[in-house]
Amino acid sequence: MTQRENVNQAGRVAPAPTGSIREVEPLALLEVEGLAKVYRDPMTLKPFTAVNGLSFTLGRGEIFGLLGPNGAGKTTTIKLILGLAKPTRGMIRLDGRDPRDPAARRRLGYLPENPCFYDHLTATEYLELTCALFGLDARAGRRTGATLLERLGLAAHARKPLRKYSKGMTQRLGLAQALLNEPTFLVLDEPMSGLDPIGRAEVKQILREERTRGTTILMSSHVLAETESICDRVGIMSGGKLLEVGTVPGLLATGVREWEIAVESLPERAAAELSAAGHRVEPLGTRWLIHVVEGPALQRALGLLTQSEVFIHSVEPRRETLEEHFVRALSRGKGNE
Amino acid sequence: MPFLAAGALVAGADLLDEAGRGRFQWGGTDELLYYPSGLMVRQAALGYETAAADIAWLRGIQYYGEHRQTDMKFDMIGHVMDIVADLDPAFIQPYIFGGFVLAQEMKKPDRGLQLLERGRIANPDNWNLAFEAGFLQYVCRHDFAAASRYFTWASRMPGHPEYVERFAAFASEKAGNRGMATLLWKRVLATGNKYMQEVARRELRRLGEEVQP
Amino acid sequence: MMSRVLAVARNTIREVLRERIVLVLAIFGAALVFASQVLSPLALGEGKKVVTDFGLAGSSLLATLLAVFLGSSLLHKELDRRTIYAVMAKPIRRAEFLMGKFLGLWTTTGFLLAGMTLMVLALLTVVHHETPWILLGSLLLTLMELGIVTAFVILFSSFTTPGLTAFFTLGVIVTGSFAEQILYFGGQGESSFVAGLTGAFYWALPHLSTFNVRGMVTHGVAVPPERIAFGVSYALLYMGAVLTIAGAIFERRDFR
Repeated sequence: MTQRENVNQAGRVAPAPTGSIREVEPLALLEVEGLAKVYRDPMTLKPFTAVNGLSFTLGRGEIFGLLGPNGAGKTTTIKLILGLAKPTRGMIRLDGRDPRDPAARRRLGYLPENPCFYDHLTATEYLELTCALFGLDARAGRRTGATLLERLGLAAHARKPLRKYSKGMTQRLGLAQALLNEPTFLVLDEPMSGLDPIGRAEVKQILREERTRGTTILMSSHVLAETESICDRVGIMSGGKLLEVGTVPGLLATGVREWEIAVESLPERAAAELSAAGHRVEPLGTRWLIHVVEGPALQRALGLLTQSEVFIHSVEPRRETLEEHFVRALSRGKGNE
Repeated sequence: MPFLAAGALVAGADLLDEAGRGRFQWGGTDELLYYPSGLMVRQAALGYETAAADIAWLRGIQYYGEHRQTDMKFDMIGHVMDIVADLDPAFIQPYIFGGFVLAQEMKKPDRGLQLLERGRIANPDNWNLAFEAGFLQYVCRHDFAAASRYFTWASRMPGHPEYVERFAAFASEKAGNRGMATLLWKRVLATGNKYMQEVARRELRRLGEEVQP
Repeated sequence: MMSRVLAVARNTIREVLRERIVLVLAIFGAALVFASQVLSPLALGEGKKVVTDFGLAGSSLLATLLAVFLGSSLLHKELDRRTIYAVMAKPIRRAEFLMGKFLGLWTTTGFLLAGMTLMVLALLTVVHHETPWILLGSLLLTLMELGIVTAFVILFSSFTTPGLTAFFTLGVIVTGSFAEQILYFGGQGESSFVAGLTGAFYWALPHLSTFNVRGMVTHGVAVPPERIAFGVSYALLYMGAVLTIAGAIFERRDFR
């Protein structure tokens, strides 16, 4: 039995009763169509195309990763979505509105890349300023701000001037000010930057919690492994163009690249036979790892190992990682130019 | 260490400057010779004319004081007071001081009266300027008729003290006698301007009056 | 809207007050007022005038210099350090942001101006036993003049570098003080085109002499209420015009 899920006035997904299957209304929070941005050198007037014909949509409650090398146009795309720059061509609709309309940004949270805040303020003061800019009630905003600082491990540094903050602390504050207005749309430019592994894990947890609340998240990142583990869909950009868009499993569904067999010990004869058959054999501490490329060859390799009475720890399929797919997509993109 | 070195360099530079001033005598009168016209200074003052007038006034007083102690020549005083008047026409004291110095000390009563007249035109309601002009007409030029006119004019201005009428009366009786002169110099002695008081003491002694030093 | 503007204004005040130059100028201003008192015995009985003139001129000059040199880098710093990105991604219009910057800068420089004027009043009261409240009329009009200067700082900084902002603003101050002369000399020639051009120039420039009543109050003449009303109205209208242009320019600006 399905029930249509209610999307309340704030655009948030209301929790469905237990036992029912969720069905989400197909409302696009962000629509980008034919977006282009051309800058001109102020001295030579030579044009430079930062974004070229970008089109995609973001549904409610999804996490979308925008990936690309430096100079791909990710940050420019984000600026256009936020109304910080004006498109040369194309259309952007943010919750049905032009992003340059302040009303479109009322439920938006933004974390810039390498954020820089007013270093004469403390974290508490900065969140108070953010509150006022959102038009939130001051007292409620102070409570929310304190809760966020606690959640992000900054409670003890709330009254320290921001000029004394480390990069990681500034990044956390950036996330705090982005979450202050309980956004329905979060835009995060390199959210893991400057964070240690524990910090990254905490941020990923927060993003997952936000997704559960129905928040749509657009994040750009260089850290592909992190993106792979958290994003519902990704878009790969290069040279201002969107090369591919899709879910991570969908993009990587090109099958298994190789099989990895981990064994306890490997007699020399068995190792030589496997190498002769074209498989890569490498020591891994006290164990051995055998890389077998094809499916049929796996059966023969396993047979050989069994005959040699080798103890097999595990047999793991190794699929293409997002990073490998990303590099391949970029090369294809360069080749098509 | 760097601060000590800098201090020593500045002290050395100051000594050099002092020696240069002593030898070549730059600054002083030369500086005031190059004071531009008051109208130019007014344009350059960019809305701060009254403060610029005060600076010129202070400089003029210093100039007077320096030359009082040396050669008793005040060639530039008229020029400086004209600049003050260009900058702040409502500033009364420079007209009076300048007029007094020009007429009494430099023996140029016409020039002094010209300055006072300029002040009178800019400040027609001011009794003091008319009174001082009458004073100079009486004492320096002995033009009793003119003095009488100025004293009478002053007596019609608001805020004048009661003695102005008496001065007007005396002048109209051709009071160019010793009694009148003594009366006038005693009034000057009471004004509080120390330079004018010195001149008043000198004149009273010349008239045979006993004066407190 | 006002809460957002005031939030930016409050933040700007905090930011400006932490600049060392504010403290330096405030100390310098106080020193100037007291130095004028030290000079006053040399003024042959015109000590009160010297204190008043130097105090009013000094406060106006220092507040103007603070507005120009501090204000010219205010917006540029935001763009350079990208602190503006997080702010402009909030539901705030660009014009509201500029308005907040303007109000913050004007308030801070206004406090310096008022502080020095009150110091002059206090000095005159204590040393010369007179409290010329009419100085407050001059303070109000000088504050309006300062507002116009600040509006120009915001206008120029919305599209150019700090150095050029300071240069252009000082240029406006200088030509604004010559506005009447420009009109006069333009009309003296034979060319009606030149006369028209100088006339247009005159009407476009701020007539800063409108706010110069320092000479009046120094000589004990109270500023007529009508003159104050006219000056305040003129200043508010002019500031509105300049800030409107600034907002329109800033609206079109891409944040790179």
